[in-house]
Amino acid sequence: MSTEPFRRLVKLVARAFYDEEIPAKGPNRSKSDKSDNRGIAIVILDALTRRQWVKEEDLARDLKLHPKQLRRTLRVLEEEQLVVREDHRETVKAAKAYNAAIAATSDGKPGEQEKEEKQKVHTHSYCCLDYAQVYDVVRYRIHRAKKKIKDELEDRNTVQEYVCPNPSCGSRYSALDALQLVNPFDQNFHCERCDSELVAESDKLAAVELADGDGDDNARRRQREKLRELLEKMEIQLKPLMEQLARVKDLTPPDYGTFTQWEKKAIASGRIVSSNGEVPELKVAHGQGPTGTPMPFLGETKVEVALAGAEDSKEHIKEEVAATAKVLPPWMIRQGMNVPTSYSDGRHEVKTEEGLGLANSTALDVKPVEDKEAIEQKLKEEYYKAYYAALLQRQQEAAQVHTVATVVTDEQVTTHGQEIATSDRQVGMKSKRDEREEEEEEVEWEDASVSGGLHAVNEDATEGGLLEEQTAVEPGVGDEGDDEEIDWEDG
Amino acid sequence: MFFHIILERNLQLHPRYFGPHLRDKLVSKLIHDVEGTCSGRHGFVVAVTAVENIGKGLIRDGTGYVTFPVKYQCVVFRPFKGEILESVVTMVNKMGFFAEAGPVQIFVSNHLIPDDMAFQAGDVPCYETSDGSVRIQKDSEVRLKIVGTRVDATEIFCIGTIKDDFLGLTGDPGGAA
Repeated sequence: MSTEPFRRLVKLVARAFYDEEIPAKGPNRSKSDKSDNRGIAIVILDALTRRQWVKEEDLARDLKLHPKQLRRTLRVLEEEQLVVREDHRETVKAAKAYNAAIAATSDGKPGEQEKEEKQKVHTHSYCCLDYAQVYDVVRYRIHRAKKKIKDELEDRNTVQEYVCPNPSCGSRYSALDALQLVNPFDQNFHCERCDSELVAESDKLAAVELADGDGDDNARRRQREKLRELLEKMEIQLKPLMEQLARVKDLTPPDYGTFTQWEKKAIASGRIVSSNGEVPELKVAHGQGPTGTPMPFLGETKVEVALAGAEDSKEHIKEEVAATAKVLPPWMIRQGMNVPTSYSDGRHEVKTEEGLGLANSTALDVKPVEDKEAIEQKLKEEYYKAYYAALLQRQQEAAQVHTVATVVTDEQVTTHGQEIATSDRQVGMKSKRDEREEEEEEVEWEDASVSGGLHAVNEDATEGGLLEEQTAVEPGVGDEGDDEEIDWEDG
Repeated sequence: MFFHIILERNLQLHPRYFGPHLRDKLVSKLIHDVEGTCSGRHGFVVAVTAVENIGKGLIRDGTGYVTFPVKYQCVVFRPFKGEILESVVTMVNKMGFFAEAGPVQIFVSNHLIPDDMAFQAGDVPCYETSDGSVRIQKDSEVRLKIVGTRVDATEIFCIGTIKDDFLGLTGDPGGAA
C-alpha cells in the first residue's frame, strides 16, 4: 500500500478543479469579503497530502494563512467531500495527546510548544484528506460532466424548454406544454401570461442566441460544434487525471480512520519507535501496519507481492540466521571470517538497502528447499554428476577448478541440503543449466518474482562461493565479492 | 399501445326513456359518453365492444333521474414512452411540428429532428433536407418514437423524436390516400 499515487491524484484534482477562485457557498457568503483566494485550495490540498490528521490552527500557521481564510476554504472542500473535518472540545491534555501523535508520525520531529497553559476547554477542529472519498468524488464528477456534454451533444431524450424573453415575465415552459402554447394565428409559441413569443431555452453549455428565426439552424450547428470541442478539450485536459485514476483503481486508499482512531494508533506506534530507538527501520517494519504511515523507502515500486509475505519472512530470516549460526560446520570457517558479527551486519544491509523483495525471497526459498530436499536431492545429484562429467570433458582450461568443486559438493551432500544447491551451481557453467533450473523452480514455487529474487541471491552466492574456491586454488583471481556477503550466503 | 379492458361507469338516464328500449338507450348513451374520451389512467377509449352487465337503477331523489352502474368492455389506446407510432403531421412551425396518431397529439421539437433537415418557412412551412429528398410538411406521414408523455386526468400529450434509425417520413401528403 503506497500513498503516493493517491497524493498525486489529490494534487491533480486540486489543479484540475480548484485552481480558480472558490466561491463561498451557502449562507456564509459575506459581501464584504473581497479577498482573492485564487489557488489557495491547491496550496491547502497539497499541504494536506503531506499530513494526516492536522489541527487547523497548525495548518494555518504552517501555510501562513489566516485561520478564518483557511477554514472557509476547508469548509468548501468539505462540502465537496474531499476533506473530512472533526471538531473536538478538548483540554490541554488532549492537545498534548495530539502533539504526541504528530510527533510520532512526522519522523521524530519534536512536538511543538504548547501555548495554552490554562486548564481551559478549547474547541479545535482537525481536518484530513479522505482519499477513498476523493477517488469516488472525482470519478463521479468527471462522469457527470461527460454525461452532460454527451447528452446535449446527442440530444438524447431531452425535453426542450422554452422561456419567455420578456424580462418582467420570465416564464418557463417545456415541450410538454406545447399544445397550450401554440398560437392559432401565427402558429408560434406564445407565453400564456404576457403573450410574447417564446424562445427555445439555451441554458446549455454552449449558449447561443436564438433570437432571430432563420439563424436558428446555423446556431444549432454551431452549438454542436462547440459542444464537441468542449468534450475534446475536456478529454485532453483531464487525461493525466484519468490516467492517475486508472492507476489508483486497484490500490487500497490510505485510510486514517476518524481522528480519535488515528490519534490512538499514531501514539501507539510512536511509543514503539521511542522504546526501540531504531526509528527508520521500524518505519519499514510498521509501514504496512494499520497506522499506514508513509513509506518513503518504497516509493511507487510494485511491492505488494513481496509485502504480503514480508512479516513472516522476517521471522523466517531470523530463524534462519539462528539456525545457520548453530549448524555452521567447522570446515566452513576459514581465515578472515569474523562470523558472528558479520552475520547480523550483512542481514541488516540486505534488508535496508536491497529492499524487502530480496530479503523476502531468500527466506521463502530457504524453507521449502529444505522440505523437499530429501525427495529431489538424489535425482538432482545424479543428474548433476552426469552433467559434470560431460562438461568436464569439454572444458579443458577450467578443469582444475571443477575438480576441486566437485569434491566439495560430495562432502556437502551428507551435511546440509542447501549447500548442495548453491555449490552445485557454482561448479556448473551457467549457460544452459540455469535456465533449466529456473523452469524447475518456477514450477515448484509458482512465484516468478520470488524465484527471480532467489536467483539473484543464489547467483551472488555462487559467485562468492566460486571466488572462494578459486582463491583457495589460485589466490588473487578476483576481489569483487563482498566478504560479508559470501559468509552469510554460504551459511 | 392498445388494451382491451373492462371498465365501469354510472350512467344517468332521464325518466322519459323508461320503456321497452331502455337497455338499447343505455348502451347508445354509454357509447356516446365514453368513446373518444381520455382518462390519464387508462388512455383514450377507442371503442366499446360489449356491455357486460347493467346493475339495478337507483332513482335520484328530487330529479327523477336513474343511475345505472354499467360494466363494459372497451378498447383503449395508451401511449407509452419509447413506443413507436405512425402519425400524420398536423402543423409545422419553426419550433418543430405537431403530429397526430389517432387521438393522441405529439409534438416533435426541432432539436429532435435530424440535423440534416432544416426549417423552411414560406407558404407551406416544412422541414426539408438540403437536397430536397425528404420533406416533412402538413399531412405528411411520419414514424416517430415517443420520448416523453404528459398525462393529465383527462388528457395525454406526447413528445416525439424522429432522430433515430428507421424514423422519419413514411409517406408524402396524399400519397396514402
